[in-house]
Amino acid sequence: MAAPCSRMANRPLWQFITNVRRTGLKHTGVRQISLSSACRAATQTRSKTEGVPSPWKLYGAVCLQRLPVISQERNPIEDQFAELMHQMELERSLLSDHEQRLLEDSERMTRKQADNYDSDEEEADYGGQETITAQDQEDTWEQKLKHFQPALRDRDVGGTPLGSVERCLGDSLVLLVQQTVGKETIWLLPQAQWEAGETLRQTAERGLSSLPGQLCGEADFKATFLGNTPCGVYRYKFPKEVRTERCVGAKVFFFKAFLSAGSASQKEPFLWVKKTELQGYLKPPYLEKVDRFILNL
Amino acid sequence: MSIAVSRALCRVLSRQTAVPTNVSSLMGVDGHVSQGPWFASVLTLKTSAPLRAEPKKKKKVDPRREQMVRERLKKKLKKLERVPPELIPIEDFTTPAKYMDETRVRGAPQLPFEESERRALLLKEWSRYKQTQHRAEMEAVGLAVEAQREALEELRLESEELYQAALRPDPLLFPFNHQGPSYTPPKAQYEAPEGKYNNITKVYTQ
Repeated sequence: MAAPCSRMANRPLWQFITNVRRTGLKHTGVRQISLSSACRAATQTRSKTEGVPSPWKLYGAVCLQRLPVISQERNPIEDQFAELMHQMELERSLLSDHEQRLLEDSERMTRKQADNYDSDEEEADYGGQETITAQDQEDTWEQKLKHFQPALRDRDVGGTPLGSVERCLGDSLVLLVQQTVGKETIWLLPQAQWEAGETLRQTAERGLSSLPGQLCGEADFKATFLGNTPCGVYRYKFPKEVRTERCVGAKVFFFKAFLSAGSASQKEPFLWVKKTELQGYLKPPYLEKVDRFILNL
Repeated sequence: MSIAVSRALCRVLSRQTAVPTNVSSLMGVDGHVSQGPWFASVLTLKTSAPLRAEPKKKKKVDPRREQMVRERLKKKLKKLERVPPELIPIEDFTTPAKYMDETRVRGAPQLPFEESERRALLLKEWSRYKQTQHRAEMEAVGLAVEAQREALEELRLESEELYQAALRPDPLLFPFNHQGPSYTPPKAQYEAPEGKYNNITKVYTQ
């Protein structure tokens, strides 16, 4: 098997697969059910498990997103349109109970201040002068509102550190960590290598929980994984020095998760970045694949 | 009661018979008042054949009659029950009467020409903005779906087992709850004031 293996390293993947299939058919006698691609894949995997292991290392990575906490700022056109809609709705509406009360009260006031005011007649109609006018009620409500201080929308004007979850509350952020891959230490989505006996989703969960912060017990990410299906894949070949017969490269499968609860105290090496800021940290080919499934909606 | 009636009738009739004693040939030798065949039935009112027989006839007819009456009543009840239940009115679909009042109408403002023009142009610009936004969204979703398809393809090439595990639905995902974005961020350690309210919604039962 030495001669075909040395050829495998140089040829592209599809040729390698067809080679394996042919060898599998000859030596292991796999039944040829049909020539559809699905069955071809099945025969390939069967031959692989029986004889040749996959030359790709499998990794499970997690794309942990913190969804936005506050609404985004409006564009100028959105602002204008919102104002227009409000105006149009007001024009088309009927008077509410409160507004009618305001009008009645103002009419009553003008009648009182007029010269020919007959208080007995008024009292007979309305009964007692202890009524609270609608205007007074409005004033009390406004006073109550002033007592309540809401939290500020734009808290990170000063610039919260990139590692904090609280930055950019209006956008969805993605978690990046620094990990050593091969010889370099690069920023990427947290990943872990697949071990036999677990699904890739479990690998991704393990990758998230085995982050340096998590292990110490400082950072505690409670993530909800969205299903068992990977949302993206990044395939790369190792540099030629590292490449062997057994492992040509690695495939990283990404899983999406939403952050349900996170602790505030996070030291390095975490990064929470927006989709537009990913360019500054990820390598171009990696970014190309990852950019597709990170939605900024 | 019947005994008293019969006794009264006897007395009356004996008085009547007592008067023409010389003429009547009905007087027996003993002096025993032997009444004629017409009066026999009166004395034996209680024990005559028709009276003895009638209660027995009632036993046969009455249960059947009573049963018939009961069945008719039951049928009437069933007809009444078969009426479909009254539909619960949807209160949102009926305009309350107080909104039909004409005094509530706001004065319709007369818009100047520039204002109406500005509104029309703004609406058109808004539709163009929304169209570009929609196209961008659809494209983004298409890319994401394509990325997932590729991932599944690669996974299948790797191992069938992992592929099948990936296709399985996750039962623990739903129901999925997430608090959406608000205008201001949540305040740390904020206690909302307790509010009392009277629930006056009408509850209908069928």
